[in-house]
Amino acid sequence: MKIFVVDNGGQWTHREWRVLKYLDVETEIIPNTTPFEDLDVDGLILSGGAPRIGEEALMLGNSGDYLDKAEFPIMGICVGAQFMALYYGGTAGPATVPEFGKTSVIIEEENELFEGVISPFQVWESHNDEVKIMPDTFKNFAHSKDCAHQAFAHKEKPFYGVQFHPEVEHTEYGEDIFKNFIKICAKYKK
Amino acid sequence: MFDPEKFVNESIEKLKTDIDGTAIIACSGGVDSTVAAVLVARAIGDRLYGVHVDTGYMRKNESKEVAELLRDMGVNLQVAEAAEEFSKELEGAVEPEAKRKAIGHTFIRIFDRYAKDIDAKYLVQGTIAPDWIESGGDLRDVIKSHHNVGALPKDMNLKLVEPLRDLYKDEVRKVGRYLGISISEKQPFPGPGLAIRIIGEPTLEKAEIVREACFIVEEELELAAKEGKMELPWQYFAVLTPIQTVGVQGDVRAYGYTVCVRAVQSIDGMTAAYSKIPHEVLEKISIRITNTMPDKINRVVYDITNKPPGTIEWE
Repeated sequence: MKIFVVDNGGQWTHREWRVLKYLDVETEIIPNTTPFEDLDVDGLILSGGAPRIGEEALMLGNSGDYLDKAEFPIMGICVGAQFMALYYGGTAGPATVPEFGKTSVIIEEENELFEGVISPFQVWESHNDEVKIMPDTFKNFAHSKDCAHQAFAHKEKPFYGVQFHPEVEHTEYGEDIFKNFIKICAKYKK
Repeated sequence: MFDPEKFVNESIEKLKTDIDGTAIIACSGGVDSTVAAVLVARAIGDRLYGVHVDTGYMRKNESKEVAELLRDMGVNLQVAEAAEEFSKELEGAVEPEAKRKAIGHTFIRIFDRYAKDIDAKYLVQGTIAPDWIESGGDLRDVIKSHHNVGALPKDMNLKLVEPLRDLYKDEVRKVGRYLGISISEKQPFPGPGLAIRIIGEPTLEKAEIVREACFIVEEELELAAKEGKMELPWQYFAVLTPIQTVGVQGDVRAYGYTVCVRAVQSIDGMTAAYSKIPHEVLEKISIRITNTMPDKINRVVYDITNKPPGTIEWE
């Protein structure tokens, strides 16, 4: 199993790499300018990062190209997730209430990514922006008190977005969410 | 999972090829640099020379204890007494990044001097993942320039060797335990030391105050944990704030500084929750700090911020 982490300049990009490594996945952190053709992977993580989704979406490099061409699963985290919704025609911008640190997430509907996760659960956040309007091709399945779009998935493709950070120690079920994503990658593995 | 034995064996092989001459290692006496020292010594033996810098901003008795410990472990160690040099560099430095850069540059100047003496080409550092992550670069924002990464001068001559670069503190401790290092559980202490626990311009006089306050916080929390009143926090210390407030001592008006106690639970330093210290323990700390330094401190507060949005150290 080979899942790479696309670096969008996050404080916890390297944590994503660590969680995957601990789960015996072959992994590398790659610049978001890596050409799609150079990727020989079973899945990708689009990391969070400092760029603001409104004015600086271009700083997410080839992320759009990955979404266009990938036949493998992709999980976007924080700005990576916001980019996904934006790319498919939704809108994203400054959060009505930015969340930093501890928050509680409520699951609205079952999803493979959250298999075994018991709602509500404690997560760790760090975002100034959020998804405002979800594109029609996506389904939202979790929210918090101050943020309507905490987890969502493409209705047909294996693309997932989470606003919170499953890769940090303080998020409950973080490792389970990664394990579920790895299972999804395994299903698509050729 | 992380396998310390595999990590040690692979690192030693790599260090043997990476270092083809003499190297010096910057030994603060903390877990990271001590683990790096033992690891590199296993690879290149007596071609490794340790330098411990007493910046004047170390904790109580720290430099003396560190020197003894490292020499006991067979590190060929020199101690640089540099309190005056640091104090001069820090004159007028108020902004945290200015302090961190002044400190980083002073460290390198000292290491360069020692390196010249022994003709060393390499500088080994105990840099770990959060150091370079928080120091930023390219897309990543600068949260704080760690003295060993973001605060290094651009024109340094020594080649850096950083065997722990991809590890977090919990993993470094695992390596330390595997190598039989007695201080593997020691709490983190930042390279810039007490200079970043003094908000505003650091002076050696203020360092005395925060040094005593840190000592009291450490002693009381370690005692409370030993007595089973609480779990020992991951990191715990005092910060000297520039806020002066009015107090009353012996029917007389006082106007002294405010000390903040900070204690957090964490695994890797990248996220942290403030420690839920019992009130009786906080009260004991407060009374002891204000009674030990009545002419300096007349107010003690407790920091209840998680990371994020805060960081663990204030600067």
